[in-house]
Amino acid sequence: MSRARLLALVAPPFIALWAAPGMAQAHLVATGLGPLYDGVSHFGLSPEDILPVVTLALFAGLNGPAHCRAAALALPGAWILGGIAGLSGLPWPPIAVSVASAAMLLAAGGLLASNVRAAPRLCAAAAGGLGLICGLGDVAGVAMTPAHLVSLAGMAAAAAAVFVLAASLTLPLTRLWMIVAARVAGSWMAALGLLAAGWVIRYGALAR
Amino acid sequence: MRRLLAVLLLLLLPGLGLAGPAAAHEVRPAYLEIDQTGPADYRITWKQPVMGDMAIHLAPHLSSGWLEAAPAAQYASEGFLIRTWKVHAAGHDPLAGQTVSIEGLKDTITDVFVRVRPAHGPPAETIVRPEAPSFKIAQGGAGSAGVLAFLRLGVEHILTGPDHLLFVLGLILIVRDRWTLLKTVSAFTVAHSLTLAAATLGLIALPVPLLNALIALSILFVAPEALRAQAGGTSFTIRFPWVAAFGFGLLHGMGFASGLTSLGLSGASLAPALLMFNVGVEIGQVAFIAMVLALVRGFRLMEVRWPRPATFAPAYAIGVAGASWTFQYAAVVFGLAQ
Repeated sequence: MSRARLLALVAPPFIALWAAPGMAQAHLVATGLGPLYDGVSHFGLSPEDILPVVTLALFAGLNGPAHCRAAALALPGAWILGGIAGLSGLPWPPIAVSVASAAMLLAAGGLLASNVRAAPRLCAAAAGGLGLICGLGDVAGVAMTPAHLVSLAGMAAAAAAVFVLAASLTLPLTRLWMIVAARVAGSWMAALGLLAAGWVIRYGALAR
Repeated sequence: MRRLLAVLLLLLLPGLGLAGPAAAHEVRPAYLEIDQTGPADYRITWKQPVMGDMAIHLAPHLSSGWLEAAPAAQYASEGFLIRTWKVHAAGHDPLAGQTVSIEGLKDTITDVFVRVRPAHGPPAETIVRPEAPSFKIAQGGAGSAGVLAFLRLGVEHILTGPDHLLFVLGLILIVRDRWTLLKTVSAFTVAHSLTLAAATLGLIALPVPLLNALIALSILFVAPEALRAQAGGTSFTIRFPWVAAFGFGLLHGMGFASGLTSLGLSGASLAPALLMFNVGVEIGQVAFIAMVLALVRGFRLMEVRWPRPATFAPAYAIGVAGASWTFQYAAVVFGLAQ
């Protein structure tokens, strides 16, 4: 398949999502303890962020330390980049963000369930994609202020910490039944991603 | 390189909101008391924590509009802004069915302890939280807060207090083995439990600015010790970290007490509240230590090889935050700042 045909096949749904009415309008948690804690709390209260991060971390853990390092490095950086894009004031359509979010959970769950052998670069790319989408979704439509940038750093730090904690669960796994259990968890996450995608297509963007 | 890192952290930390005095530990709950002083007379007291001239926006309301009138008195005590109203309301149990709401609460993590003291019968207490910033007063009083509410208050108090957490992190960086960690954490626990109880019971007290300055100084103290330990050096604190943990734990316990003393608990309700609050603090502390150790294990399993300056970054961060808070609170103690 030529690149032009592939683009013609893939582009229309994304263009349609982009052109959908409405802007993504996230809201940030206010703890009263400063923007860094606000960001950490926002991540902690957002299952749409936590689930794909944990799923991808389990997958990276099954693949080995090098994969974990690559992904753990890419995730927070991409989260901040995605967040800056979200804070930029561009009219990000909420449905596109929601679909991408659901697709990331589906993809991460699929990777974990299949326990595919991947290169560290693939893990880093997946973590980067996830970070971009989650960071964007977390703050899309929020004004660019120094406090919100610090909140974003808090979210990215929390995401990185949860990634490391979750990856360390599967890194030392050698027993078959434990690996199978992790893969079953992946299939559940993929199913959740599929459900979320269906929900978004049927009822519209998920509230953040 | 270390100096450069220290300067960078010094510049970055205030911006991150870590080193501001309000962020240091402003999670003390507010307090609303409705006291029936006569058959149709009520005295309502609102006590809100403030730090210097900074306070989060909180305002109590009653659906009857009693609190919309100007307060009979308004004054500042040490660390608190206090307002009182005197209300005359005839009728049978005019409080029953009224809704208490706290404006601004949902934007904070502070709780509001509400106590209703009827003229006859036992007082009723409840805790209003940000996720449900209003409640309806039932016939005969507010309800019962339950001891579990104080457990949660204790957990929240330590987990939202970066000063205590940084001190504990400093201790973790100093200790070299699990047995020493256990002894150090136990010493800290015993010490802060002693002074938490003593301060809550009113047996000991320190002025809040001085206490905050001393707690900040304890954080500043552990940072160089952590650096020395990581560089392979030794000192009395590194050999016997539980001694420092016990000594400074006495100060931190008085800091924990600020979460309870503002509630004005007394009598039979004090002992279970104190116990559960302390248990909550321990749960929060153990959870924090477990998370730090789990992260360390995670990095080890990931075979992360940190650049040497990065290994010193946590200790520098603790030191910079401790120094910043020490200067700020010392300025308050010596009357140079509010």
